[in-house]
Amino acid sequence: MSRRHELRTLLRGAVRPPENDSAFLLDVHRRAVPTERMARYDDSFSVDLVIVGAGAGGGTLAQRLARRGWKVVVLESGPFWDPDEDWVSDEAGSHRLYWTDKRITGGSDPVELGKNNSGHGVGGSMVHYAGYCPRFHPSDFEVRTRDGVGEDWPISYYDLKPHYERLELELPVAGDYWPWGDPHRYPHTAHPVNSGADVARAGARKLGIDMRVGPVGITNGAFGNRPHCIYRGYCLQGCKVNAKASPLVTHLPDAIEHGAEIRADCMVTRVEIDDSSGRVTGVRYIHDGVERFQHAEAVAVAGYSIETPRLLLNSTSRRFPHGLANNNDQVGRCVMVQGAPQVAGRFPDEMRMYKAPPPEICSEQFYETDERRGFARGFSIQTVGPLPIEHAQHVLGHGHWGAALREYMRDYNHWYTLGILSELLPLPENRVTVAADETDQNGIPVARMDYSQCENDRKNIAFAKQTICDIFEAAGAQDLLVTDRYAHLVGGCRMGSDPDRSVVDSDHRTWEVPNLFIADGSVMPTQGSANPALTIMALSSRLAERLELKRTGGPATRRRPRRLRRGSGPAPTAVDAG
Amino acid sequence: MAARDFRSAEHLPNLRPDREPASPEELPRQRNGVTPQMHGRYPDYNVLDEADHWDEVTRRLVLERVEKMPPIRFFTQPEAVTLGIFCDLVMAQDREPKIPVLNMVDAKLFAGELDGFRYADMPDDRETWRRLAVGLDAAARQHGAGDFAGAGHDIQMRVIDALAKGELHGEVWDEMPPSKTWKVVSRAILSSFYSHPWAWNEIGYGGPAYPRGYARFGIGQRESWEGAPAFERDPVEDTERRGVQGT
Repeated sequence: MSRRHELRTLLRGAVRPPENDSAFLLDVHRRAVPTERMARYDDSFSVDLVIVGAGAGGGTLAQRLARRGWKVVVLESGPFWDPDEDWVSDEAGSHRLYWTDKRITGGSDPVELGKNNSGHGVGGSMVHYAGYCPRFHPSDFEVRTRDGVGEDWPISYYDLKPHYERLELELPVAGDYWPWGDPHRYPHTAHPVNSGADVARAGARKLGIDMRVGPVGITNGAFGNRPHCIYRGYCLQGCKVNAKASPLVTHLPDAIEHGAEIRADCMVTRVEIDDSSGRVTGVRYIHDGVERFQHAEAVAVAGYSIETPRLLLNSTSRRFPHGLANNNDQVGRCVMVQGAPQVAGRFPDEMRMYKAPPPEICSEQFYETDERRGFARGFSIQTVGPLPIEHAQHVLGHGHWGAALREYMRDYNHWYTLGILSELLPLPENRVTVAADETDQNGIPVARMDYSQCENDRKNIAFAKQTICDIFEAAGAQDLLVTDRYAHLVGGCRMGSDPDRSVVDSDHRTWEVPNLFIADGSVMPTQGSANPALTIMALSSRLAERLELKRTGGPATRRRPRRLRRGSGPAPTAVDAG
Repeated sequence: MAARDFRSAEHLPNLRPDREPASPEELPRQRNGVTPQMHGRYPDYNVLDEADHWDEVTRRLVLERVEKMPPIRFFTQPEAVTLGIFCDLVMAQDREPKIPVLNMVDAKLFAGELDGFRYADMPDDRETWRRLAVGLDAAARQHGAGDFAGAGHDIQMRVIDALAKGELHGEVWDEMPPSKTWKVVSRAILSSFYSHPWAWNEIGYGGPAYPRGYARFGIGQRESWEGAPAFERDPVEDTERRGVQGT
């Protein structure tokens, strides 16, 4: 064994991430992020950057730029969570974590929104994601060239690789050595798995399918002031322990320490533009029922694949009558979800799948195109660990109700569940628009998402579903329950090298407005069959690096006001040394 | 009562010739705590015995579900009668004790607590429930009954079966797709029923585990406080241990 390997083994889990002290800035005795020293900027002070949305994209961008001295304000529509007070170990009681404002879902294969894929509040959807943090494969960035479908990205895997590595230290990610895509190892060792995962993995092995533990953004061992996971199984309901990674605990404490303001409960309704210069000047938002305007030198929208297009489409002006940065009619197009059918298998022994984190084992063996399967691109296999309500939906999805449903549910402890993430292709007619005649509680037109599958999508989902049925059969399952669903959201404002077929360039800058950026999953031209969280963070991490290199195209002499109010004063104060 | 071995899966509807479950009356009666209709496979397990080990906010929330029955405020009295029967049939609650599913649904609709999306060809969830009540009556009339509440059990079951399969037609159902209606209302029913600790007792679910967590997840392992299935136990030893007198 080499010295280098020995050293790495010895230090495993002990390496502190560079330039991010978030885990050490958290309080040992409470879970809430300390905000007593948070900066407060006045609305009239033109900050360097206002970010709309405090999720994976916005949170990471804020931390990176605050570290580099930028004056950053993050406006978040939802609350600033206190995990001790706001979150519960309960499925139905976690309703507040989701985006529950009105939205319309259409198309021939409509997507369930809300709890399924839409977050709300500081930390965004990563507050209730399962915790899977896989990287994309190098092939994901060139699927048009390789497989003749979808779209090539204007950047490559190797542009993101250093950011993946850095983020895996920051979250931190725990898992086995990863042989797929660009092979790599993880900073934390794999978590223990429950009995169901062992049984499913044995079944997969019989079929020559390799399933590995992880990769999950859940500390294995204490990490700074974040404690070890306690395996209570409520990852999707918000981690009360602070063991699971989300920007709330992985990036925002450090952003706050470096002068960023996270302003919660602020619903941004418009990005304002100066029609003569063609540059954005700030954003309009509603806080406590009062409309306010935050001035900014640049705006980064990070509201995810539905709210980002909605905000742009609602920000009409003389120069942009069809929505901001939408004169090429691309905003909202190519929104994507992953096909996520689930199969539950029944075993003689008790599995009690509610224990341990729902994300346990995973295989990316079917990730790439295999022409023998009869469709382009592929899928990954992951465990799901549904709690009672989710499992009841699964039983009903198979077609049982009444006494049969009750009987299956009494059998809950004997079941284990595998899920699929099928790469569905980007289609221009799958689109987010705004419904002109339907408005939310603020009178703002709501988003409508239309989604329909193509033939390749249907073949992919059918093949993937059969694969997990085969795994359970090989594992000795006595009965199977199958249900269809979708997971995740990406696309809608994709990046590209052709201004006619994309919304932003490779630096996330909108083609039509020089100081407007998009920093969330909506920029993804394709989605692979990986969970998107880590890649959204990596994109923002890279964007921060690019912005720091180029600045924002702002005035040559930048205002550098001294920041006031790093104290505990009551009200915001005008800060403008201009 | 015939002994049943739950290592085998013969009791599961998919594997039975008629695809119907056996009568739950063959299961043990609940001895500790409550399950809906008082049958279950973990007769001595009451998740509420563990409430002292839960964090305060979770405990408040879960106990309130058991202790406070929300009044019907959203539905009208006739709607509540029709939909109450409907919810009980969907969850096979044929006698007390029942989880008050309709009251829980009513509370959410009354508070405007919706799920964050609406199908393009469907009305608002609140309107969906009201039209469901009208549509159930319409479907029952097609079978010759006066309305859904007054129809016989067979007709009621046939109407729900057709709803679940998306096969209702006429009147309301020409304007509101039955398959999506079923998705909307079943989601609300299931999330009410399986959020109730009585249902957790019935299925042997360990429940909230913060801050103590779970530690034993090998095959057939459980925490010391988790419920044992009734059929794992020798009845003679069990009766002696619990000091129960033979009858």
